[in-house]
Amino acid sequence: MSTQVLDSLSEDTVRRIAEERDEPDWLLETRLDAFDELDELDLPDVIQTPGRRWTNLEGLDFESLVDPLNQADVTERDGEDDVVVLPFTEAFAEYGDVIEANFGSVLDPQENYLTALSVALFTTGTFVYVPAGVDAEDVTIRAEMNSRSLFSQTLVVTEESSSVTILEGIESGADAAADVSPANADRYFSNLVEVAAGENSYVQYGSLQNLAEDTYTYTLKRGSTDTYATINWIEGNLGSALTRSDVETELDGDGSETQIVGAFFGHDDQHLDLNARVWHNAENTTADLVTRGVLDEEARSVYEGVQDVGRDAWNTSSYQRENTLMLSDDAEADASPKLIIHNHDTEASHSATVGQVDAEELFYMKSRSIDPETARNMLVEGFFVPVLEEIRVDEFRDDLEELVQARLE
Amino acid sequence: MATLEINNLHAEVAEEGGEQILRGVDLEVASGEIHALMGPNGSGKSTTAKVIAGHPAYEVTDGEIVLELDEEDVDDIDVELSESDYRWNLLDMEPNERAALGIFLGFQYPAEIEGVTMTNFLRQAINAKHDERQELFADEADLDEAADEDEDAGYETSPMEGPADDGEIGVAEFQELLTAKMELLDMDEKFMQRYLNAGFSGGEKKQNEVLQAALLEPAIAVLDEIDSGLDIDRLQDVSEGINALRDEQGTGILQITHYQRILDYVEPDHVHVMLDGKIAKSGGAELATELEDEGYDWVREEAYEAA
Repeated sequence: MSTQVLDSLSEDTVRRIAEERDEPDWLLETRLDAFDELDELDLPDVIQTPGRRWTNLEGLDFESLVDPLNQADVTERDGEDDVVVLPFTEAFAEYGDVIEANFGSVLDPQENYLTALSVALFTTGTFVYVPAGVDAEDVTIRAEMNSRSLFSQTLVVTEESSSVTILEGIESGADAAADVSPANADRYFSNLVEVAAGENSYVQYGSLQNLAEDTYTYTLKRGSTDTYATINWIEGNLGSALTRSDVETELDGDGSETQIVGAFFGHDDQHLDLNARVWHNAENTTADLVTRGVLDEEARSVYEGVQDVGRDAWNTSSYQRENTLMLSDDAEADASPKLIIHNHDTEASHSATVGQVDAEELFYMKSRSIDPETARNMLVEGFFVPVLEEIRVDEFRDDLEELVQARLE
Repeated sequence: MATLEINNLHAEVAEEGGEQILRGVDLEVASGEIHALMGPNGSGKSTTAKVIAGHPAYEVTDGEIVLELDEEDVDDIDVELSESDYRWNLLDMEPNERAALGIFLGFQYPAEIEGVTMTNFLRQAINAKHDERQELFADEADLDEAADEDEDAGYETSPMEGPADDGEIGVAEFQELLTAKMELLDMDEKFMQRYLNAGFSGGEKKQNEVLQAALLEPAIAVLDEIDSGLDIDRLQDVSEGINALRDEQGTGILQITHYQRILDYVEPDHVHVMLDGKIAKSGGAELATELEDEGYDWVREEAYEAA
């Protein structure tokens, strides 16, 4: 229906990418299967309100955006000695079995058109493996996009009773514009993240996206928790012309938990389509979804938050709140918090608000000599504090605060 | 010594067909004086306070508010001053400019601001007052460079990016000042890490208003029902704070109140009764006692007879 068949793409393109990377046969097969399905797959669902489809993914011209054989990135990966943090190409020899067992187990490559395209064409990405009992504090993945299009894939596997904190930063390279021809053409970034959290393990995954504003960004992050496992996501979106982001947890193990914390700040005519979803599939699970965002100028945001409590999810706790602050009359926001309950033994709440800077708060600050612009900026920074307080990684907090301040100046 | 002069002030609610609330207020408050402004609900006391501070919910339709300063009030200003720098027509000015000149409003219901700590707020306020003052008097010296009202125009090169180094209050100096003022008001140091008024009890909020007045050293402080809802201990703390404003900083106080009770602790030099948007009667401290005993009806009758 709505999807595009890309004339410039062929099976050969996919084979060439796989061969250049010297990948195992199963992965080539996975890529080819995804490629074959492209014709059949739809784009991800987007929010619709009467008379309006909020995000126009159909409008993306993939024929011109996608340049699979010229992908370029500079990615720095860092981690302590007892944790594996490698590009896939360097990980196959030793961890081939682990990768094969987990790749696509949480996030089906054929989930939709964009995931299939991403799996078929990815040339960068990271494999993070935390052996049983290992505590890894500071895993960092800093990626710089230097091409028209870039497809990235991340797989995190944690064994029993391990823990890991991962910080991912995504930016455009300083000279990236020069590498795009024709100059000033739009760009496309795709990032799929899959987390398989083993029994009683803890994963914190922070992602800060600040790509140049000529970039269309699609990211899907999905984790699955085993018994007593925890996955905490932190997602910061400030960059890109259009951001479509999905952050999801399947609470598959009894007593498992997740938190999805989101912060965004759109300006100019940026478009943000943000989604946080959790499925309670087991007993005694807990979820907490917290998102706060600010919109200035003509920026738009559309948020969907889903808490899905399954039939067998006895004794569920599930909370969700989203708040959007509008700094301009021309900004637009839509928020849909959704709570689906199939098991009555649930304690749940969900709320969403869209509001403007409070006039009384502004007057109070002005009455203390603070000029209107500074007063507004203090209120905006203060607005993000409840989200920042949920972030236990100082580095991520500092980075996000810095980006917010920079945008306010 | 500064004087706040309110002449024939008329104001209405700033909306289509907005109700007229002030119908010719005349009032003069000078440094070092304590005035009590009393009157029944709806007589226009709070509106007077808000209009002095420049609240956008009210539109002034007639009259003027003037702040008259003297040498003492501008001894911190670096630039050379002319005669016009001593007389300010407040109605032409933004709320933050009025505050920088020395007007302080103690709110009846202070805003609760999540995410902004007391420390951050108070330091910002002290520094903003200093910067804004220098700017105001410098602007006045060169009228062409009137304050840049266009927020977008100053976007890239906001003067706030690099506040002047001189005059910025240092961390140590700020702490010292704060500790002294908080002690006076019997406030706990833990306040400083809390968010501005967020989750404060009614009494804590009022203490915080007086604390801010003590730190900002205004020429004239308008305190709107600072005594309402206080238990006796807190009423004494707050009263001590208000007396200190006058005794130590020479601040002129316009205290709006419903109750005579606070006037036992903060003795007014002048008491004014407001009725129907006007000052209906003025007198000394004994007038407050009369009002407490006999209510406002006799003032109303007296006012009508006179008219």
